Amino acid sequence: MSAGLPRKKDTIEIVRRGLKKRHAAARRFKFTGVAAVGMSLFFLSLLFVSIFSKGYSAFRQTYVHLDVSIDPEILGVGAHPDMNALANGDYGGLRKAALRTMFPEVKKRREKRALYQLVSSGADYQLRDAVMADPALIGTTLSLWVPADDDVDMLIKGHIRRELPEDDRRLKDYQIAWIDRLVAAGRIENRFNTILFTAGDSRDPEQAGILGALVGSLFTMLVTLSLSFPIGIAAAIYLEEFAPRNRWSDFIEVNINNLAAVPSIVFGLLGLVIFLTYFDLPRSAPLVGGLVLTLMTLPTIIIASRAALASVPPSIREAALGIGASPMQTLLFHVLPLALPGVLTGTIIGMARALGETAPLLMIGMVAFIVDIPTGIFDPSTVLPVQIYLWADSPERGFVERTSAAIMVLLIFLIVMNALAVILRKSFERRW
Amino acid sequence: MMSLDSLLPETGSIDNKTDHKTVAPSFKTVGEFKLKDPRISCQNIVVRYGEKLAINGLSLDIGRNEVLAMIGPSGCGKSTFLRCINRMNDTIEGCRVTGKIMMDGQDINSPEIDTVPLRAQVGMVFQKPNPFPKSIRENVAFGPKIHGFVETKAELEEIVENSLKRAGLWKEVKDRLDQPGTSLSGGQQQRLCIARTIAVNPEVILMDEPCSALDPIATAIIEELIYELKKDYTICIVTHSMQQASRVSQRTAYFHLGELIEVGDTKQIFMNPKNRLTEDYITGRFG
Repeated sequence: MSAGLPRKKDTIEIVRRGLKKRHAAARRFKFTGVAAVGMSLFFLSLLFVSIFSKGYSAFRQTYVHLDVSIDPEILGVGAHPDMNALANGDYGGLRKAALRTMFPEVKKRREKRALYQLVSSGADYQLRDAVMADPALIGTTLSLWVPADDDVDMLIKGHIRRELPEDDRRLKDYQIAWIDRLVAAGRIENRFNTILFTAGDSRDPEQAGILGALVGSLFTMLVTLSLSFPIGIAAAIYLEEFAPRNRWSDFIEVNINNLAAVPSIVFGLLGLVIFLTYFDLPRSAPLVGGLVLTLMTLPTIIIASRAALASVPPSIREAALGIGASPMQTLLFHVLPLALPGVLTGTIIGMARALGETAPLLMIGMVAFIVDIPTGIFDPSTVLPVQIYLWADSPERGFVERTSAAIMVLLIFLIVMNALAVILRKSFERRW
Repeated sequence: MMSLDSLLPETGSIDNKTDHKTVAPSFKTVGEFKLKDPRISCQNIVVRYGEKLAINGLSLDIGRNEVLAMIGPSGCGKSTFLRCINRMNDTIEGCRVTGKIMMDGQDINSPEIDTVPLRAQVGMVFQKPNPFPKSIRENVAFGPKIHGFVETKAELEEIVENSLKRAGLWKEVKDRLDQPGTSLSGGQQQRLCIARTIAVNPEVILMDEPCSALDPIATAIIEELIYELKKDYTICIVTHSMQQASRVSQRTAYFHLGELIEVGDTKQIFMNPKNRLTEDYITGRFG
């Protein structure tokens, strides 16, 4: 035995002495990990609870039951009007008349105006659509549920407190009295809020929906995916498989890595200058949004795809080349299928980031107030995160719950997108 | 242990030579490195990995329908030499091969030669079994498919069956052709790789230590297979096992530090080596 080593009997004693300390260190190490995971879970659940508790009420909306007599005189059309005249009729007048009939004692001008405010002006469009679909309704009385104004909605949901002094709340005492009468008469009901999922943005919370932003996000993501996925893979394949290693390829690599860290607002500015000013593409369009997000996503996809390609065992390449496969055949039949799970993971990460991106889209005008639901990638539109930003910025109490509801929809969109990608990745995964 | 330098040919340490033109031809080689009617004739091969010299002016002929075994200590350049013959060294960055490799009157080392048909003609079996992570059938069918050997599915099935039969694997896998090739045992995987090589119908098969990852039973099966294949193919095999070389080959070449030291009839090399380096190696004094 060498001189420096302790005697055999002593060694086990020395090992024993240190054992307690070693195990304690291992336990501490494990505990740190568990604590980190636990903390993340706690904050995540806090986030979900806060969003859900604020937003769930947005999925219900207060409706008022109106009996509207479709009087051609109030409407301002003749007995047999054409469609054009019908489209321009005074449906607001019908709504007001219906409310007056319900509360005949209201005579004062100011009170009348307060009365009219109980029902959303969105009811006018509902009336118009009904009459234009069936002109025979003219002269009859139409009985229908129309959305209440957001203030009424907030009162019913308990967000406007009755015990506050009259001057501090948005509804006057007499308005609350009318609402109570409507509730007593069974003319107010809390129903599922279909408007939230079928309408575009609006200044009135009760008429605002997220469909426009959802469709805008969908179009933007489609543009981003269909550009960044093929370009990213092509670039990664060239750089990893074919490009000679020299100063140029080093230069390109460094630049791609740098681009991945560039703040997204810079890409927005780039898009503003290049796509809008120079190429004169339409403002606020998902096309431009998608292009900007493509620029932003590309580095992520390229870096991930290159790593995935590099991790394919060289033996597979040699096997294919050894039986005379051309480099392209080797790549398409063997290397790429094995790299695909990694490539898809990179794409998911890039797309998820792009979906939640707001800043660059502000620069190219996707922050505009857009009521119409986009029908293509050239239509002006907004996207979910920008819609959340816009609603979070709005003063009306009704938008608070809608902001949370929009966040929920964004999260669901994200989960669906990721789940799809995970399923796709699983089906490509192979062991070797 | 005696100094190796004293045993080396007088050209001295090869790492000092960076210009291959100054390298003397392998006149030091003992034995008949030239053949009358060779299948492949390699002349003055020099291989460099960057600045490192891996093969130093090596000339060796490979005969028709013979099994040529290459032995030698690790890092002596046998695998590198093998990979010259089907240009697999092209895939290694910084690797430069000079010299002539004549096959059917063509220098296959010239940059104008297309490696795709060359590799179909000169197949390769690697050290570690490397089946594609696909079904057994697809593993064998890939080569014929990409080269366009077959037009119908039946023809392809026939090639798959014949190749697996020739590789001695058919009986074991005929009922599970759709299972992944990676699910086979190591020896079966290596035979699958041989079947995959045969399916392309090459003339020369290069084997780079095909049994080094296999147990003795699987090794014996592969050796038998090599013996069978010899009838139709020219086979070059790199091996670390001297018993294997003596069992399967007709000619044996002994490599040492990037040079071909001795080549000749296998029996003669093992029974009566002429060079002392060869003798020391095969008697187990080093390597």
